[in-house]
Amino acid sequence: MKRNHLPFYFIAGLLFIAPTLLLLVQSFTAPWRFQRGEGLQFQLNSWSLLFSDPNLWSATLWSLVIGAMVLLMNVFIGLTSGKALALYSFQGRTIVESLLLAPILIPVLAVAMGLHLFMIRVGLADTWVGVVLIHLVPTVPYSIKIFHHAYSEVGRPLMEQSQMLGASVIKQFLTIELPLLRTSIRSVTFLTIVISLSQYAITAIIGGGQVITLPMIFFPFLDTANASVMAAFSVWFAILPLVMYIVVEGLLQLLPYSRKPWRIQT
Amino acid sequence: MTIQVERLSKKFRIDQVLNSLSFKLEAGEKMSIVGPSGSGKTTLLRILAGLEIPDQGTILLEEKDVTRLSARKRNIGLVFQQPLLFPHMTVAENIAYGAHMNGKKTESTVKDLLAAVNLTEASAQFPAELSGGQQQRAALARALANEPEILLLDEPFSSLDPNLRQDMRYWVRDLLDKRGITSIFVTHDREEAMLMGDKIGVFHEGTFQQFATAEEIKRNPRNPFIVEFFDHHLLLNDQQYVHIQDIQFSEPSGPCITYEAELLQTTFRFSEKVAHLYVKEFDEKITLPTPDDDLSKHIELYIPKDAVQHFQSDGKCNDEQ
Repeated sequence: MKRNHLPFYFIAGLLFIAPTLLLLVQSFTAPWRFQRGEGLQFQLNSWSLLFSDPNLWSATLWSLVIGAMVLLMNVFIGLTSGKALALYSFQGRTIVESLLLAPILIPVLAVAMGLHLFMIRVGLADTWVGVVLIHLVPTVPYSIKIFHHAYSEVGRPLMEQSQMLGASVIKQFLTIELPLLRTSIRSVTFLTIVISLSQYAITAIIGGGQVITLPMIFFPFLDTANASVMAAFSVWFAILPLVMYIVVEGLLQLLPYSRKPWRIQT
Repeated sequence: MTIQVERLSKKFRIDQVLNSLSFKLEAGEKMSIVGPSGSGKTTLLRILAGLEIPDQGTILLEEKDVTRLSARKRNIGLVFQQPLLFPHMTVAENIAYGAHMNGKKTESTVKDLLAAVNLTEASAQFPAELSGGQQQRAALARALANEPEILLLDEPFSSLDPNLRQDMRYWVRDLLDKRGITSIFVTHDREEAMLMGDKIGVFHEGTFQQFATAEEIKRNPRNPFIVEFFDHHLLLNDQQYVHIQDIQFSEPSGPCITYEAELLQTTFRFSEKVAHLYVKEFDEKITLPTPDDDLSKHIELYIPKDAVQHFQSDGKCNDEQ
């Protein structure tokens, strides 16, 4: 039976594509005033103002570096913990699972305050490494949950089949596990980058003003109340996860047995 | 390649799944393991494959002890109940996978196997695009592509419909014979066991209750479990049994034993009318071919005294066969 995709396109258009297009248009036009009868006045002032910020490029770069590191660590911790929780039975598994999810039950600001003292002692305060570590608190529990579910879906028999065919642990990981976890890796990519990019307070506390990320220069712009400038900044902000997604997607294409995008399974 | 299993034991908590099991299979021989569901047949196969470690005992492949060797290094093929094809690979990639992992050249092997399993045209398709039978054939080809020394098959046809299952049985048996592969086929279906194995190991309570040819099992069942598991006999008591074909509906001329039976239903099997009877004396249901068109609800069964057989051994089959 052929599926009707119209409702999907309608909802995707209404909730995702239309707002993005509006944001793009707004960033290149003067703020709109409804019922004034004025047309769109195209301008580049908002983008000029954005690029005039001397910290923009370094903040963007640091956001990318921190985001990439947070993503890498999330993938590593999520894959290993998720696999253990899904495929191995051991005593106290439920307790371990609850403990791993616990960070999202405690306000991240409270955790950051506590960890700040610890990081000062070990010399990680005011460093980008400290910021990466604190960004793991609100992201890792979700990654573990996503990979736990993904490994449960793949199941132990498929891994055993690969063992029976002589695949080593590494080859099994590269040829079976990673390709089948592709969707989860995409989800974790978006989730961790967006969460990491959104952290203002904990980045300010642990970074101590030394580590400048995009939110640190974005928040002061909120005072301008200029919709065009805000739109330009939002578009700039949204490009980062997109860039990261494209990079990750490119890397996933390098995996063995990657399905070509034009060969869709029926 | 010969496989020799010596005093294999495995316990899961309080369940003794394998109990000092021993057997030997010569190169090219085909063996079926049959037994009730949940008796531990799959665990035995998993231990032979290297996916589980036994508590005790040894597994020798051509005199070499592989008991502690990982599954990756044993070169034993295992076809599971489900095809377990890798969903992100095409049929050809699935078949070539094992050979690739072991650094073997695959092109001609894959081509030959695709032809052997009638999947040449489906070689570029993904598993989700195949039927159940095609998937199981691809799984078999994948196991064979690795040129395993022993092939283990764990109820590979159980998820197929009856007609396809029957076709697959003949086809796989023929393929194994042609290639001279030593194989162990696990099933709970008695007919399938007879079809797929030269020898049958009847598995129950962690060991083989009997390990013999189908003919021998029918002619000389070793113990009451064998009699009850197969439909060839009626168990009279712990020492005696009678072949089904010796049970009569009319009184014979010589001395005989008589039992009352209740007719439950009549059906047809291979064009022959069969009666499904409940024998109150043994609290047992049996099925007998019947020439009589009009059986009454309550009937008498006659067993000539000279047809009553006795179990000849101590009923155990624990030693090396």
